[in-house]
Amino acid sequence: MTSVPSKSKGKGSRGHFSALLKVEAKLALRTPIGLGGGLGITTALLAIFGLIGVASPGNVAGTDLTIIDLYVPTLMAISFTFLGIYSLPYTTVRYREMGWLRRVSLTPESPSRLLAAQAIINLVVALAAILILVFGSELIFGASLHANIPYFALSIILSIAELFSLGLIVAAVVPTQQIFSAVSGVLMFLSFFLSGLWVQPSQVGGIVATTMNYSPPGAAVGALLSSAFDSAPSYTSIATMVVYTAIFAFIATRYFRWE
Amino acid sequence: MVQNLVKRYGDFTAINGVSFSIKEDEIFGIIGPNGAGKTTTVECISGLRTPDSGSISIYGLSPQRDRNKIREFVGVQLQESSMPPRLKAREAVKLFASFYPNPMDPDALLETLGMTQVKNSIFKNLSGGQKQRLSIALALVGNPKVAILDELTTGLDPEARRETWSLIESIRDRGVTVILVTHFMDEAERLCDRLALINHGKLAVLDTPEAIAALAGGNRVRFVPSQPVDDKTLHAIPGLTGIERKERYITVTGTGDLAASVINSLAGIGVHVSEIEARRGNLDDAFVKLTRDDPADAPGGAEP
Repeated sequence: MTSVPSKSKGKGSRGHFSALLKVEAKLALRTPIGLGGGLGITTALLAIFGLIGVASPGNVAGTDLTIIDLYVPTLMAISFTFLGIYSLPYTTVRYREMGWLRRVSLTPESPSRLLAAQAIINLVVALAAILILVFGSELIFGASLHANIPYFALSIILSIAELFSLGLIVAAVVPTQQIFSAVSGVLMFLSFFLSGLWVQPSQVGGIVATTMNYSPPGAAVGALLSSAFDSAPSYTSIATMVVYTAIFAFIATRYFRWE
Repeated sequence: MVQNLVKRYGDFTAINGVSFSIKEDEIFGIIGPNGAGKTTTVECISGLRTPDSGSISIYGLSPQRDRNKIREFVGVQLQESSMPPRLKAREAVKLFASFYPNPMDPDALLETLGMTQVKNSIFKNLSGGQKQRLSIALALVGNPKVAILDELTTGLDPEARRETWSLIESIRDRGVTVILVTHFMDEAERLCDRLALINHGKLAVLDTPEAIAALAGGNRVRFVPSQPVDDKTLHAIPGLTGIERKERYITVTGTGDLAASVINSLAGIGVHVSEIEARRGNLDDAFVKLTRDDPADAPGGAEP
């Protein structure tokens, strides 16, 4: 046993990744808990806040925005949070618990590709959620967004990068679905609060508002809100998201466990 | 190939200095009681675990340091492994084929495994035997040089077991080295070219199944002599190692074609034997004997 078996050139890694992505996408559609939930929660919250907006027209105290205007960025952050913290890690944690990750770890495939496939699938759903929120709020509930497109796009990209990489930490380390339910439940509740689902930072002020604004979902909401109404997002919200993304992505890749 | 392997889990030493070398194109069996360290040994070989000391080399590569290279030519079937419940059999095999530089044709492989009928069934609808065969397919689709199979036929019905055995033999005949972990002695006896018996984390014996079976005391022959025969005469019979007397019966143990030796030798001194009953030593007996003994008494015999 002295020689390494001969190796053929093989196919390029592009064909290889698309095969993985295709299978993962099919599986996601066969068990659409995460993806259906992502679109469901987005649509339901849009309907709720849209109807509240219709019931109490006029600007929210202390702002020059209506309720639906104010909540579109929050709902966007919430749907990214759900997709990032629940839907994205859900499949990976399941794969880990059933030993599938361990099985894949014995092939030349790398874990980053597996996570990347999950991230791409959820990204597609996030884009659908954005379309539902933007067009739904405008066409059905009369929101008056006038987004600064480049800034809005930048804010969306950074928000998704940040919240998805937070979810990748969960995907990287949580061993069982039971622990996952607890962890993602707490994280989502916290994130929903910090995104301003129950109270907006402008309504509470003080240290609570500061905490919200510098939290991962709060920074996302801040940037989305500014850019949705034609102004540049603050440097602090941009910088906050970039720093969080870098930290989260580092932790997720550093501590990824196959089993 | 494996040198002085040691793996500890906390205070528990799962493997304590196991060494063996596997030849190319053989079916190498690893047997031993539950908890003996069989699975830990193959998990170290496949790179799932890192040994605390000792070294493993597969074609000169280390499963730990050269993970990526090793994975291209080592196929593994895990003892307990589930798949995404809604993944179809053919999709799983095609997916795994996409991971390897030089894979087999997924459809041909599924046909060899007798799974053409169910290739579009999702994993959770497959029977136990079909799941097991799919798991074997995933271990083989990358065209490995070495296949590590852990508890290959556990949970299969007798017919599926026999089919699986033929498959493994055909793989070996195609030039794949097979490392097989099993606790079925009939499987080890039927399939393996050589066997390593691991007990209490140590290599108890390494040899061909026939040679290990002989360690049980080998073959036994019971007979009634036409006239009394003393022990000295019996000990002169070639291959004879033990004598037991009970009433008019004499039971001798030994190796080789013992019954023929007994008949010929005694005929030579004018003694006839009747009511002769011969039993071949088998792996089961050897296994029980070797694993019941204090490990210090067990024969050593690690091959370099």
